[in-house]
Amino acid sequence: MKRSVPVGILYSRSGSYARISDACRKGALNAIEEINADPARSIRFEAIERDPAGNVDSYGPLCEEILRDTPARHIIGCVTSWSRKEVIPTLEKSGGTLWYTVPYEGYEASDHVVYLHACPNQHLLPLLEWTFPTYGRRGYLTGSNYIWGWEINRLARETLHAVGGEVLGERYLPIGSVDIGRMIEEIRATEPDFILNSLIGPSSYAFLKAYAALGADDPRFSPDHCPVLSCNLTECELDDIGAASEGLIAAGPYFHDGAQAFVSSHEAAANAAVYTLANLLEGAEENSRLHIAALLQTPAGLQSRIDAKTHHMPQPVLIAQVRNGAFRVVHSGGLVAGDPYLSQPVPNAMRRLRVVS
Amino acid sequence: MRGGRIVDLGGAHAIILHRPHAAVSALSRQLLAVGLRVSTQWPVLEADALAADFVFFDADMGFDEQFPWQKAQAPMPLIALIGTEAPGRIEWALSTGATAQILKPVGDSGVYSALLIARNAFQARRALSAEVADLRQKIGERQTVVRAVVMLIEQTGSEAAAYSALRSEAMDARISIEEAAGRVLLRGSQPSARKPKGGAA
Repeated sequence: MKRSVPVGILYSRSGSYARISDACRKGALNAIEEINADPARSIRFEAIERDPAGNVDSYGPLCEEILRDTPARHIIGCVTSWSRKEVIPTLEKSGGTLWYTVPYEGYEASDHVVYLHACPNQHLLPLLEWTFPTYGRRGYLTGSNYIWGWEINRLARETLHAVGGEVLGERYLPIGSVDIGRMIEEIRATEPDFILNSLIGPSSYAFLKAYAALGADDPRFSPDHCPVLSCNLTECELDDIGAASEGLIAAGPYFHDGAQAFVSSHEAAANAAVYTLANLLEGAEENSRLHIAALLQTPAGLQSRIDAKTHHMPQPVLIAQVRNGAFRVVHSGGLVAGDPYLSQPVPNAMRRLRVVS
Repeated sequence: MRGGRIVDLGGAHAIILHRPHAAVSALSRQLLAVGLRVSTQWPVLEADALAADFVFFDADMGFDEQFPWQKAQAPMPLIALIGTEAPGRIEWALSTGATAQILKPVGDSGVYSALLIARNAFQARRALSAEVADLRQKIGERQTVVRAVVMLIEQTGSEAAAYSALRSEAMDARISIEEAAGRVLLRGSQPSARKPKGGAA
């Protein structure tokens, strides 16, 4: 007889980033099904699902509902950093843990969150390091108007200045806005070497389509001359972008480049969240009641590769480009430990780059 | 540490001046996550504290004799750990020269912003003190400049020429007008003395 462990699922089924939520949710639910069907496992997960429907103000109350009304102590969920910050006070109060499965901008190491996707030293910094010698050091920065775009662009600006590069423009759109005309005009006027795109959802799709149209008219803006880079673009949004996705470059810990099991890194990270949690909770029943900090001190915790200090995980650094409708990995930077506050020494290659300039 | 970056905290040393307490472990956890080295001392700071990059101190039980420096003269940013928000305790915490605070109980966040705010305010205060000291010295030497100009008017014949001679003296020797005026007066008081060493020809 398996021990039943309730686990919260807090993903928006609608709204401007539903594609990413769906990918994460699918990864989590599939993994739960596998764990439950596995006779070698002593536990079975019971998913307790709440849907904030893309409304950032619903995350806190729904997280509280799960932690107050059910015995669940672990919640897999949240896509935007904004929503993650909304649930942390509730997690602190109730001793709950959020398993967060999308890339984010760093500068956080909550004792109540496990970060299973990449942070800037695992996505943005290697991406820029790879881009500068290939395309140049004159960048145009875009983003949705919240912490993800602000902080990614701040780091990009700082890195560009440190290597003698240039920021030719920096512009933000409210989440959901498709008012991309001005960005396209500025890019046409300034002719950057690359564009760093941290827009999300429909804003991003509209921008990428308009920019692809510009590139079709004017070869100065083709992917070969001035590519669009992103740290938040994955396979799960390629259908929305359509033919305009050709040539886009993304950094991430996983790309579906062949016959692997998961469609995107979101699905892979959510799968890893469920399996890692299952490994931590196997064995003694009291494990279900232990706080994540205590779980990380158990033998299973020490094997989990979750850093006990920062709650981040080592991630493969991959850079991929969309070719013929699918991502192809063009650079592999190896496995890199998460450094959310960028307080570890700069990797050699980056230091070289800084000294040269 | 990386120069110039706001994120430049890796490897910095923070000392927590607090008796063993849950606040200390919560604080240490956050500091380690940010990438600092942490040590705890109580009830007084040891001599090696002078080399620390940050000091967090207990505002509830704290007293002046804990610190190996003169009041409000800490050589690094101080951050007050405040549990009791009583006016007397806050007044004392302010008197130490602390430039940021964290409320107890210490939770899951707050340390990173306290570090950056404390460091920024500390540097601003230090720059301002240096500027004030410099200006004070300049004001103090106004009299020296006036006396040197009067002396030089006798030699050069006009006020404009006197100022010009003083400026040249300062520029040639790469010293301030006030220092140059001091040299002029020194020479004037020793009529037979040669131009002091170090002055450019």
